[in-house]
Amino acid sequence: MAAAESLPHIIDPAEALDDRKARLRLVADRVAPMALARERTLPVLPELVDLLPGGALRRGSVVGVNGMGGATSLALALAAGPSSAGSWTAIVGQPELGLVAAEEAGIALERLLVVSPEPSSWAGAVAALVGSVDVVLVAPRHRVAAGDARRLTARLRERGSVMIHTGGRWGPGADVQLDVAHSEWVGLGIGHGMLRSRRVTINGGGRGAAARPRSARLLLPGPTGAPASAG
Amino acid sequence: MSAPVRTLVAWCPDWPVVATGSPLNEPAAVIFANRVVAASLAARTLGVQRGLRRRAAQARCAELVIHDRDEAREARLFEPVVASLDDISPRVEVTRPGACAIVVRGPSRYFGGDAAVADLVRNRMGEVLEGRAEVKVGVADGPFAAALAARAADPVRLVEEGTAAEFLAPMRIGVLERPELSDVLIRLGVRTLGAFAALPVGDVLARFGAEGRGAHRLAAGLDERPPDARLPPADWSVAAEIDPPADRVDRVAFVARSLADELHRRLGKEGVTCVRVAIEAQTEHGEELIRLWRHEGALTDAAVADRVRWQLDGWLNGSAATRPSGGIARVALVPDELIPATGRQLGFWGGETEIDERAARVAARLQGQLGADAVMVPERRGGRHAHEQLTLVPSATVELRGRSLTSDPEAPPWPGALPTPSPTRVFRNPGSVDVHDAAGRPVTVDGRGRLSASPDCLMIDGKKQVVTAWAGPWPVDERWWDPGGHRRQARFQMIADDGVARLLALEGGRWWITAVWD
Repeated sequence: MAAAESLPHIIDPAEALDDRKARLRLVADRVAPMALARERTLPVLPELVDLLPGGALRRGSVVGVNGMGGATSLALALAAGPSSAGSWTAIVGQPELGLVAAEEAGIALERLLVVSPEPSSWAGAVAALVGSVDVVLVAPRHRVAAGDARRLTARLRERGSVMIHTGGRWGPGADVQLDVAHSEWVGLGIGHGMLRSRRVTINGGGRGAAARPRSARLLLPGPTGAPASAG
Repeated sequence: MSAPVRTLVAWCPDWPVVATGSPLNEPAAVIFANRVVAASLAARTLGVQRGLRRRAAQARCAELVIHDRDEAREARLFEPVVASLDDISPRVEVTRPGACAIVVRGPSRYFGGDAAVADLVRNRMGEVLEGRAEVKVGVADGPFAAALAARAADPVRLVEEGTAAEFLAPMRIGVLERPELSDVLIRLGVRTLGAFAALPVGDVLARFGAEGRGAHRLAAGLDERPPDARLPPADWSVAAEIDPPADRVDRVAFVARSLADELHRRLGKEGVTCVRVAIEAQTEHGEELIRLWRHEGALTDAAVADRVRWQLDGWLNGSAATRPSGGIARVALVPDELIPATGRQLGFWGGETEIDERAARVAARLQGQLGADAVMVPERRGGRHAHEQLTLVPSATVELRGRSLTSDPEAPPWPGALPTPSPTRVFRNPGSVDVHDAAGRPVTVDGRGRLSASPDCLMIDGKKQVVTAWAGPWPVDERWWDPGGHRRQARFQMIADDGVARLLALEGGRWWITAVWD
């Protein structure tokens, strides 16, 4: 007992300090916050889960949306998942976007910014939004310079926001590319009826984990404006 | 327990309305975030109250003139009014544009009593205002009682020394301006400040915490915080030189922002927050300008930056008599009254959250860079058309943090509004289009809403698109009582062979594409 108590006294104090620091480091490693892959994603609406690798929007990624009938609806539906879960959404350079349609798709309007920059300040505005807003919807009408696009992609990775672009004027391509391959309206006849919903077939592709082709058929928009399963 | 320091509060009622320049005898209201924040006397007699929605206010008073809130303008116009009091007391404190406070003990001894000072203040302010607004003056122990005395004043109200508690006792609990606290108290049957003050301190602290205790002290006619809770003043001031000296407010505004940030960071590190800040400016000719600003809660960095900008604006754009002779060469912020920071609890679900704060900051920053109209947020209005139900307003005109925009389930429907799903693109400037029938004649709708023939094809920018499905006409006849706003439209949904669904409108004999589903 006495020997054990006197033991610390024969160890050099500096050495004891080092020893304690080392043990502290071990503990620090064990309790350090760990970023799980699941936490690095943003949720999407259940109807869209099949279209995305991992069933969610990976933070820091670029999603491209294309197609003649339904690209804007699809972009709004993609943003609706994170928005209804509490994220902020920014719409850049599309002041004519239908706000009622955005709300019907499931976007929380109290967490929506509509930013309309001049083409010369477009890249700066998007860069400012990335990191402060989780989902940024863009549809550049001008050609985005390759340098700007590269810088924005790097900033997205670092800050963990998701960019969804429609219209295809984005040089470096997208991590996930979704195309509306086929669309057909339901409900409108010749001189009667009204637009009720649109049956669409969406094909997905992209880079890395998203390279495996995916496909889904759904109603976009469904009768309430939100996407619905085509079943 | 020491009595609170004797204070004079001078208050111009309805200052936000006065600052818009509209005459007091006309019904006018100032709106922020779709709610009335101030109304002129004429509007109030017609039932327009604070907190009403825009539409409800207009319903009560159809000729109501509505102004958007402009706090910078309110502060700029108030500065010469405050400046007229500078030789009565060197430390005039602005609570908000429209109300200021003076510690009155010294001036009372000099001018011969509280009543003499109150009259002097009223006269000075009245000279500057030239009848644009009335001035009410209240003198009592402590700024809270003095502010309420000013509200009750007609036009001067002196509350004798040591009688603040009796003066406050019959007041309604709502005057504390802590809606959540007073809501609970009213439900507990505590309706007046006197009844609240009669509750034991220990019980109030146990049930309502530090904030409740502060309110309890106010209700009892004491200072909100006991004197020993205030921190000794230390030199936590921040200053910036401006070179070359600035004579335009937009150049100083940038400095204001960074100074406010720095002050906030420095105080945050020490775990304190300030409720009163002195804004000091020095001109290139060595003139010293100083003004105190107080805030009921704690001053956040954005609130400090706003106040610095307003104050500098007031000095630089004031009347010739009060304007400094040169540009501003140095700006300093001196935190004057410090309290321990108890922190703000950010909401977990809803309420104020960290992500709201980040989004509000980026909105403010982009607005600075791109202009006020470049950053917009949706706001609910009413109407039959897709662009009317929700409109965009500049983000600076609403509070982004903890905003709620849920639709009112009780709201009556708009007959004639289009069914869901709504179009994804709504054009502010609709494009013109020609619609032909199978024989190549233009399709028309007669006065009784009958179609001349089935639409067969659209001519969009000279390209022919065959109509594959359509429905309509859905007529709208709006605002027939208003010659300027009267609109008569027949609306159609059409799908052309390019697969795109469009909303078309026939108005005044011409066809327009007003919206698209894409």
